[in-house]
Parts: sequence; C-alpha cells; structure tokens
Amino acid sequence: MTFDWSVIWTHRDALLQGAAMTVGLTVVTMLLAVPCGIVLALMRLSSSRLLSNASLAFVEFFRNLPLILVIYWAFYVLPIAFNVEFSALTTALAALVLNVSAYNAETFRAGINSIRKGQLEAALAVGMSRRQAMFKVVIPQAARRILPVLASTWISLFKDTSLVSVIAVGELAYTAMQIRAQTFRVLEMLTAMAALYWLMGYPQAKLVDWIHKKYGVKE
Amino acid sequence: MDIDFSPLIENWRFFAGGLGVTVALSVISALTSLLAGLAIALGRLYGPGWLRPVLVFYIDTMRAIPVLVVLVWIYFAFPLLAGVTFPPFWAALVALTLHIAAYAAEVMRAGIESIRPGQTRAALALGMSRAQILRKVILPQATIRMLPAFGSVLTMAIKDTAIATVIAVPELMHRAETVAGQSYRPVEVYTAVMVAYFCVLFPVTRGVDRLYQRLAHLGRS
Amino acid sequence: MNHTIRQPTASPQAAAARRKGADLPPVLVYENVRKMYGDFVALSGVSLQVNKGEVMCLIGPSGSGKSTLLRCTNALETLNGGRVLLDGVPLPTREADVRKVRQRMGMVFQSFELFPHKSALDNVAMGPITVLGMNEEKARARAMALLDKVGLVAKANNFPANLSGGQQQRVAIARALAMEPEVMLFDEPTSALDPETVGEVLNVMKKLAQEGMTMIVVTHEMSFAQRVANWVVVFENGAIMEEGPPAQIFDNPTVARTRDFLGHLGWNG
Repeated sequence: MTFDWSVIWTHRDALLQGAAMTVGLTVVTMLLAVPCGIVLALMRLSSSRLLSNASLAFVEFFRNLPLILVIYWAFYVLPIAFNVEFSALTTALAALVLNVSAYNAETFRAGINSIRKGQLEAALAVGMSRRQAMFKVVIPQAARRILPVLASTWISLFKDTSLVSVIAVGELAYTAMQIRAQTFRVLEMLTAMAALYWLMGYPQAKLVDWIHKKYGVKE
Repeated sequence: MDIDFSPLIENWRFFAGGLGVTVALSVISALTSLLAGLAIALGRLYGPGWLRPVLVFYIDTMRAIPVLVVLVWIYFAFPLLAGVTFPPFWAALVALTLHIAAYAAEVMRAGIESIRPGQTRAALALGMSRAQILRKVILPQATIRMLPAFGSVLTMAIKDTAIATVIAVPELMHRAETVAGQSYRPVEVYTAVMVAYFCVLFPVTRGVDRLYQRLAHLGRS
Repeated sequence: MNHTIRQPTASPQAAAARRKGADLPPVLVYENVRKMYGDFVALSGVSLQVNKGEVMCLIGPSGSGKSTLLRCTNALETLNGGRVLLDGVPLPTREADVRKVRQRMGMVFQSFELFPHKSALDNVAMGPITVLGMNEEKARARAMALLDKVGLVAKANNFPANLSGGQQQRVAIARALAMEPEVMLFDEPTSALDPETVGEVLNVMKKLAQEGMTMIVVTHEMSFAQRVANWVVVFENGAIMEEGPPAQIFDNPTVARTRDFLGHLGWNG
C-alpha cells in the first residue's frame, strides 16, 4: 500500500478555496443568524402570547432536529414552497441560518433574562428611564454573558458547515471528498481534510476558551 | 402540488427498522461517550502529569474537527492504515464516541470541579480516603448537577447518528433518503421524518429538564 | 447585672498549674508551628498545649491564624515548620496514617458541609460505615442516638436542603461525634447562622463540654468563650498574643492589645 501525499500539494488551490468557502459560510450565516436570534428572543420575551409562542415553537422545532436532515429538507422543499430554483449554496445558507438562529434565540433570551429584574429595578430606582436602563445596565451585562455562548455556537457552526457537502456545496469537506473520488487517494485526502479543519479549528477553540475566561461571569 | 404520503405508509416497516438502528446507535454511543468521558475527566483531574496535555490535546482536537470528518476518516481511511475494516455501524459508533466523549469529558470535569472544596474537607476530616471521597461524596453530587448535560450528550448522539447516513448506516436518515429517491416524493418523506426526529428528541430534552428539577437539591451543597 | 468579684489574676504560671486537665499529659501539643501561604505568614511559630477535657477557645481578628491552626491540627493543611503532637506522637506524613489520625478528631465547619445527597441520618452514619467499616444497622443506630443527643431525631430522614442552618450544624456536630473522636475541632461554628439559631448550636456545644469532651473552638461568640471555655487563646498576626483562663482574658487582660481587640468587638466586660 503506497501513499502519495503530493496530491495534497497538487490540489492545494482547490482545498484552499474549499476552506475559504467554509469560512465564508460560517461568517455569512452568523451575520444573518445573530439578528434573527435577537428578533426571536425579543418575540419570546414580548407580552404578546402569539409572538411568544410562535418564537417558542420555531426555536424548539429547530433545536430538536438533526441539521443534516434540515439541509436535505430545505433542498427539496424550499424550491417547491417558493416556486423558485435555489442554488445549493442558498439552500445551505437557509438551512444553517434557520438552525443557528434557533440556538441564538435561546442564548439571547437566557442572557437578557439572567440580568433583567434586579438590575433593571435598581437602575430605575436610581431614576434612569427604561431605555437608559436597558442600554446602560442590562444590555452591557447581558452582552458579557452572551458573548461566550455565541463564541461556542460559532465553533459549532464552523464544524456544521461540513454537512452542506451532502448537497454539493463546494466547501472544504465536499472539495476534499471530490478530490478523493477523482484521485482515489483516500487516506491522503481524508487526512488532509482533517488536518485543514484542525488548523482552522484549533486556534478558534483556543480563542473561545480565552473568551470564556475573560468574560466568564463570577457571581 | 399534490401530496402523496403513500410511500411512507407502504414502507413503514422499512422506516421502523431505520428508527430502531437510530435508537440503538444513539443510546450505545451516548453510553460509551459518557464512560469514556468520565475516564478522560478523571485522568485529567487526578492522573499523572504527562497525561494531562495529551488529554487536553485530544479534547481540543475534537472541538476543531467536524464529526463528519471523523466519521469518514474512521470508515474509509483507517482501514488503509491498519488493515482492518469496520462495518458501517461500528465505524459510526467509534467515530461518534471519539467525538462526543471529548464534550462529555469537559462537562464532567466542570461538574466535578463545581463541588465546593468544603465538601472534600469535611470528608477528609472524617478520615475518608481520596478514592472514597470521589466515589461517595463528589461523584454523586456531580452526577446530579450534570444531568442536563447528560441529556445534551444523548440529544447530540441522536442528531449525530443522522450523519452516519453518509457511510450508509441503515438508520432513519438513510432510510429516508432511499425511499425519497425511489418514490420521487422527497417533500413528504423528509417532512415526515422531520416530525419523527422531533418526536424522539423533544421528549428527551423535556424529560431531562423535568428530572433535573426534581433532583437538583440533592446536588446543591 | 451580677458583678463577680474580680480577684487579681495570679501569675500565668499559677494559672497554668490550676488549668483543667493539667495533671494529665496534654492531648495536643503545638511546637513552634509555622504555616505560610506563598509570602504570607499565617502562623509564625505558635506553641500551645491543649489538655484533656479542656474547652479551649481561640479568638482574634480575621486572618490572625486561628482557623489555620485548627486546620493544621487534623492535617488539612501541611506545616512549613514545627510539629503537632497528638497524645505525644507527631502527626504522620503518610496519607494512610494521616487518615487514621483524622478519625480521632472531629471537625465542625463554618459552612456545615453536610453532604446534600444524603439524609441527616445517612450523613451521621456515613463516617462509621465508610471509614470504620461498621455494619450499616449498627451505624444507623449510633447515628440515631447522636441525633437524639443534638435534638434532631424528628429530622432524621430530612435532606440538608430541608433543614435550617442551625439544624444542619447540629447534624454536622452529630456527624463528627459519630467517629467517637478524642478531640472536637470547631471552626467558627456559628458564624454563618442567624442569631436565632446560634443559641441551639451553642447549647449543644455546652452540653458536650459538660460531658468532658476536649474541644478547640475558633469563635467570635465572646459570651460563649467567657462562660464555657476553660482556656482562652488570643491570636494576632499569626502569633499568640495572650492566653489564660477567661477571667484573665476578659476581665483583666495582661496585654494591652487584647484590651484593644476586645474593645473593638464592643466587649465591655
């Protein structure tokens, strides 16, 4: 059994493009999923029963489904539902955003809730307006609690982008497996794939640790 | 748009079999992950000095690499190195355990470290040995505190089994793909399977929440 | 208010000779005990003796070393210098031997530290069962008797979450007594309690003292020290400032610093 590790070097451009796509997917998804998460959290915290329950249903639904299934489902259902042809990339983004928004909604809701009452009352008692209290007291503190969780969600998202390979989106996993199929260099390509994810993911994991240490809340 | 759920009804046995594999794979990997996680956490907390960085490296690596990547590597690449092949189910089990055990280890380490040092002191003052303290004072309390996280491990395992479809493990997701492909009714099939997964996952998270609420006071020192 | 006739205290040597238990060899001897945390000197060469059947109260400002000395007594802290002798034998260094020594001392903590996953009865029985290998029924019977002694038989099956602070501390005392120790060490046993429940715990401790238990109590409860203690030791900055019978310390301290310290606590004698 001979191994030819040069295939990795030969195909480095494609692999790097795949890695770039992975990063791109992560960034764009997060950019969309954060506002969506905030909206969902506010809906949940609102006094309107309808909004609150709608948000709850959405969040519970997408948090209790495997992402790979959501991806497949989106791939088949979205074109039919909207009567438009979606590219695989759009579908992938849609599925990822739906999934991550649900987690973010919980993160934002828990973060805001963990501060709300006592701090808000104390701020109001000092004479601040509701708006001032929210922006100067509640949100800054909530942000400290939310940031570490968001960082962890980011890393999960980064890894989950690999799943969109099943609908042929050209991120790192798909690219590596395509090259494997073309060159029949299974061990080399799969190891390269793992190594590339490791190179990108390990520093991110350490960064998340740092964020948790820095912003971890000690009551 | 016409809706036709007949492929689901005709093939219900096929799906039921898939669900069985999903449940089996999830439960077994959850158990192996928890056991491995406990061993790793204890190794990290109480083991020899050289072991610690090794375990930390392993844990951090699993945080960086997607489970899909571990899965295909174990199934396709490992046999080329070691000369042994895994049947898909076992490859999936190994891969899932490798991946989830890292998370479980972190959870358990946090759980054990969250027990007040006063508890250890009180047990030492009675004359207990370190091993006794771990078994009788620390772990029982830590286990209760970690119940929600154990639930997470189980839900993680259930969701990750769906990824095993890429190496043709005959679990529910794979069955869905097969029927959807053959019947040309992907919308109905995937929607129904979505509901099925939800019906499995939702009670698990809710059940764990309930159980924890009942028992939480036993873990509060 | 009763004014006891204050006799001028005799010399410290005379006081020591009249000390309770002075005719027997001391239970505990501290020889020049030193303890450091990094650069901070917690104990700077403390020498002290505890007699059999004596109730000794350690008082002094926070950080003066009293709790540290207590924790060095049952080897929860290691020494940086000097020795601690129990019945004339220095504390061992091997873990297995240390455990044996700890069985002969009971400790009660400021934060109670009951095991939350066990009932009151099981908390008290845990020491005998786990450490002494006692048969479970026997251990439970002993536990019941001790719970009766501290007045909590009715709460035997309650979990700590359902017990008040004072009740938890009394169970903690029973738990320590279950090992039949020679010495009882109390580390600020009432500091974390509501004023109403402090009394119930002090009463249990008073009863123990009357039964002749050797007790070392780190406390801020000056009235307890004055009324129940046989010997009071005043700490400051990791050293002993003064020691003597309560009458001396509280009514006629020989060291000016002691007067200052007690004055700060609002102690007007």
